[in-house]
Amino acid sequence: MKIGVFVSDYALTVDTLDRMPSDKMGIVLVQNGVYHAAVKKDGQASAVLDKASQVYALREDLETRGYTEDAVDDRVKVISYGDMVDLIFNEFKQSAWL
Amino acid sequence: MATTKLGFIVQRPGYKSENPKLAFTHAISSQTVEIYLEDGDVLEPMVALVGEGVLNLKSGQKGLEIYGLTSTEGHIVNALLCDVKIRACSEDMERYGLTVADVPDAEAMGADEKVEMVSWDDIMKEMESCDHLLFF
Amino acid sequence: MSKLTIGCFSSLVGSMSLDFAVKLAETAVEKGHQVDFWVSGNATMVAKTNAKDFQDYSFVAGRLKDLMGKGVQVTVCEACMESRGYGKDDTVEGMNRKSMDWFLASAFDADRVFHIGGE
Repeated sequence: MKIGVFVSDYALTVDTLDRMPSDKMGIVLVQNGVYHAAVKKDGQASAVLDKASQVYALREDLETRGYTEDAVDDRVKVISYGDMVDLIFNEFKQSAWL
Repeated sequence: MATTKLGFIVQRPGYKSENPKLAFTHAISSQTVEIYLEDGDVLEPMVALVGEGVLNLKSGQKGLEIYGLTSTEGHIVNALLCDVKIRACSEDMERYGLTVADVPDAEAMGADEKVEMVSWDDIMKEMESCDHLLFF
Repeated sequence: MSKLTIGCFSSLVGSMSLDFAVKLAETAVEKGHQVDFWVSGNATMVAKTNAKDFQDYSFVAGRLKDLMGKGVQVTVCEACMESRGYGKDDTVEGMNRKSMDWFLASAFDADRVFHIGGE
């Protein structure tokens, strides 16, 4: 099982994510972290999306910020709170909140 | 008899936010958790300082004299006295200009544990060996 | 049934991380999981009575009461509360006031621990 890394910020103030092995983590974008899924800065998608093969974004936090699933990068799977609970119990042995 | 290992991962420097300090105080409370557990059960804390979190280790902190509150250094010493395992990322120590000489030591007060500087890879291994991680 | 221990150190009102933690707890309970909910640091303000429910500000007291009604233990760090001037009489009924070892004990036999520690 992998570590579920919950990215809650857009501008990350810690470099932990850069140092985690990509094959050992899944990334869940929540709170302001969902901007990584939907925003292109200077025309470029977020580099966070390259950091793991499994990247998820929380629908409720996207919609809170005015983004629909249509705006989300193809590499990201949009999930609900219910899906997130299932990930926590079934996919991720440990969680990290960044 | 069961053992649960908790990893307290400190990524940020203290003082502006109290949360790095809370990592140490929570780890120290492993000393009294046994009142809630079955006989023989053990909760094993491990504190890892990574990134800017290594700055918590800089000794000579004057939080108590200047702001009247226990310094993070004081909590680190208490943690060592309570046999809490503390690991500091050696790459980050070097990056932020810290050496062994800068790190608090509680040996003179009778502590068996010392802050150990280990590589990021070793910290990852420690994290993987934990049952649960708490990031600060 | 699996057990989830949630720890949140992020403040009420000033950040929405606590709202996130409460919603996570609600969803886990709906899915049949057992949940323990620990607050420390600035998150302890959630235990203060007489918070007003304004549209523009996070208000989770009612939702936490509902969760307690469903068996969720909501426990607040006593020292963190007292240092902020909230005493026993200021505490929302039904919330426990304990020291930090309660959280560790909850984590001891949890299947999963979800900790929000940064701010």
